[in-house]
Amino acid sequence: MNLALRDVRRHLPRFLGTAAGLGLLLSVVIAMQGIYAGMVDDATILTRAMRADLWIVQRETRGPFAEGSRLDPSVEARAAAVPGVRSARPYTYQLIQRERRGEVMRIALVGLGWPDDPGHTLTLVQGRTLRQPHGELIVDASLGLGVGDELVLAREPYRVVGLTRNALTSGGDSVAFMTTADSLLVAADQPPEATVLERQRVLERLRRTDLGRGQPGLEDLPTDTRWRAPALSSPPLAAVLVQTDPHRLAEVRATIQRWGDVAAYTQAEEEELLLGGVVQRARMQIGLFTAILTLTAAVIVMMVIYNLTLEKTHDLAVLKLMGAPGSRLLGFVLQQAWLLGVLGYGVAFTIGELAYPMFPRRVLITPTITLLAPIATLVVVTLASLLGVKHVTSIDPSRALEG
Amino acid sequence: MEDAVRAVALTKTYGTGDSAVVALDRVSLTIAPGSVVALLGPSGSGKSTLIKALGFVSPAEQGEVFFRGQLVVRDGVPLADLARLRRSHLGFVFQKANLTSFLRARENVEIACELAGKPGGRARARELLAYLDVAHREDAYPEALSGGEQQRVAIARALANEPSLVLADEPTAALDSVRSRIVMELFKKVAHDRGAAVLVVTHDHRALDVFDALYEMEDGRLRARSPGP
Repeated sequence: MNLALRDVRRHLPRFLGTAAGLGLLLSVVIAMQGIYAGMVDDATILTRAMRADLWIVQRETRGPFAEGSRLDPSVEARAAAVPGVRSARPYTYQLIQRERRGEVMRIALVGLGWPDDPGHTLTLVQGRTLRQPHGELIVDASLGLGVGDELVLAREPYRVVGLTRNALTSGGDSVAFMTTADSLLVAADQPPEATVLERQRVLERLRRTDLGRGQPGLEDLPTDTRWRAPALSSPPLAAVLVQTDPHRLAEVRATIQRWGDVAAYTQAEEEELLLGGVVQRARMQIGLFTAILTLTAAVIVMMVIYNLTLEKTHDLAVLKLMGAPGSRLLGFVLQQAWLLGVLGYGVAFTIGELAYPMFPRRVLITPTITLLAPIATLVVVTLASLLGVKHVTSIDPSRALEG
Repeated sequence: MEDAVRAVALTKTYGTGDSAVVALDRVSLTIAPGSVVALLGPSGSGKSTLIKALGFVSPAEQGEVFFRGQLVVRDGVPLADLARLRRSHLGFVFQKANLTSFLRARENVEIACELAGKPGGRARARELLAYLDVAHREDAYPEALSGGEQQRVAIARALANEPSLVLADEPTAALDSVRSRIVMELFKKVAHDRGAAVLVVTHDHRALDVFDALYEMEDGRLRARSPGP
């Protein structure tokens, strides 16, 4: 006869209520782990999606994600000329915020090196890669845009042609991909008044110089629509992504590292920079929070099991008096703890399935979490039941005779 | 025939120095199989201490206890597995029924069979409940049973392991006189039908005619008492 199950049957509503409470706690613990895993995945998904062997960024920076990186566009051509480089493509990265239909959208704009890279390294869930050098976008589905939707950026319409899933930054912002040229246009976007005023200032400066007075044709330059005011300089690249021939990565890297204006990181180093720099604090924060929550859950389970055991002191004393072996009574407590753990985990799992997709940050339940969470739950409830077990061992059977 | 239980010069003292209380003072007692023995005496006279000693729950500091002819406790030292002895050969009935609250009536009896390693626990539980006339309440939880029904189930539980010795500590204290007598008669029936020795601690003098022998305790000393008021 299984005493633990008989006791649960007798006090089913209370036991289920306790399991539900434990499940809620566990769901928060698992969510914290999932948010952390999601944050790490989000942080690295961008770098992985680019499938570059080397990231060339501004010297003495940890860009482009950890801090700003500004590269002269000529770096692309210089990199392409290095022996062993199979391809080099520009990469831009900037965060913008726009309103659409009354809702604020934060978008991380990533420039793809058109035409070499129309987005074929991205995993699309709908639509297609870029086919035109201008006016097309691939966005993450989390932005809420559909294929065919238009987004106005830099006063020009951009049409969504493809959707990705889970392309997010470490900050949880959705990523949109466009050609590098388009992303530079967006970055350089400024009010027309600023351009007009700068043109006037340039003309006035020209008229004050001998060169300007001697070369009247120079005054036509600032009125050309393709002209860009020097004071409003064209935005540089954030990085140049390089693919190398097999087995020549180290050699290419060593060559590029010798340049005075850039640094080169491998894909793994770039990910490490992201995790070590951008995510590190969040990792510690969430780790501590998870530890506290796990401890809280353990203490609550401990007190619940202890109280459940305490209430049955007299029953257990009678059973002891009747000669019930200690192992059977300990099994009674442990089985209830395990059952509580299993039910609690079931509740947590169900809550996760229903609620996690609605969380504002992505909750990524990795296979490791899926495997470890139930094991950790069982370990916690087993440890938590030790107080109850200790109580059982200390019960004097003669208490049963004391009425 | 071997004695069911024999206690020789049991002595137990609670406390030390001036506050020491002698609960058992060289108590010797023999109970034969099939006999029903009453143990009378005022509160604090040592009855419960004697029950605990004979039930292998709390051995006396000095003296010996023989169970079915075998020495099992000497001067407070167990010479056998006492828990095993309890679950295989002893039955307990308490002042309150002390049924396990989360088990149904039948299961309370069944668990005793199971602990004693008796096969067919469910059938035996039903048989015992029928024997004690509470078979119709086998699925009820203890809290749904009347005091008399609870005590019958408790007696059934005490008999589940076919005990050689049943120890009952004021089993009728919570019952009215009619039900008290019924319970006492039950003990007699159990002893005579099943050959178990039964020791009943009681304050109830209305049903003393049921017992084969009477003992009285006072200040830790035991003496035989003749039937009658």
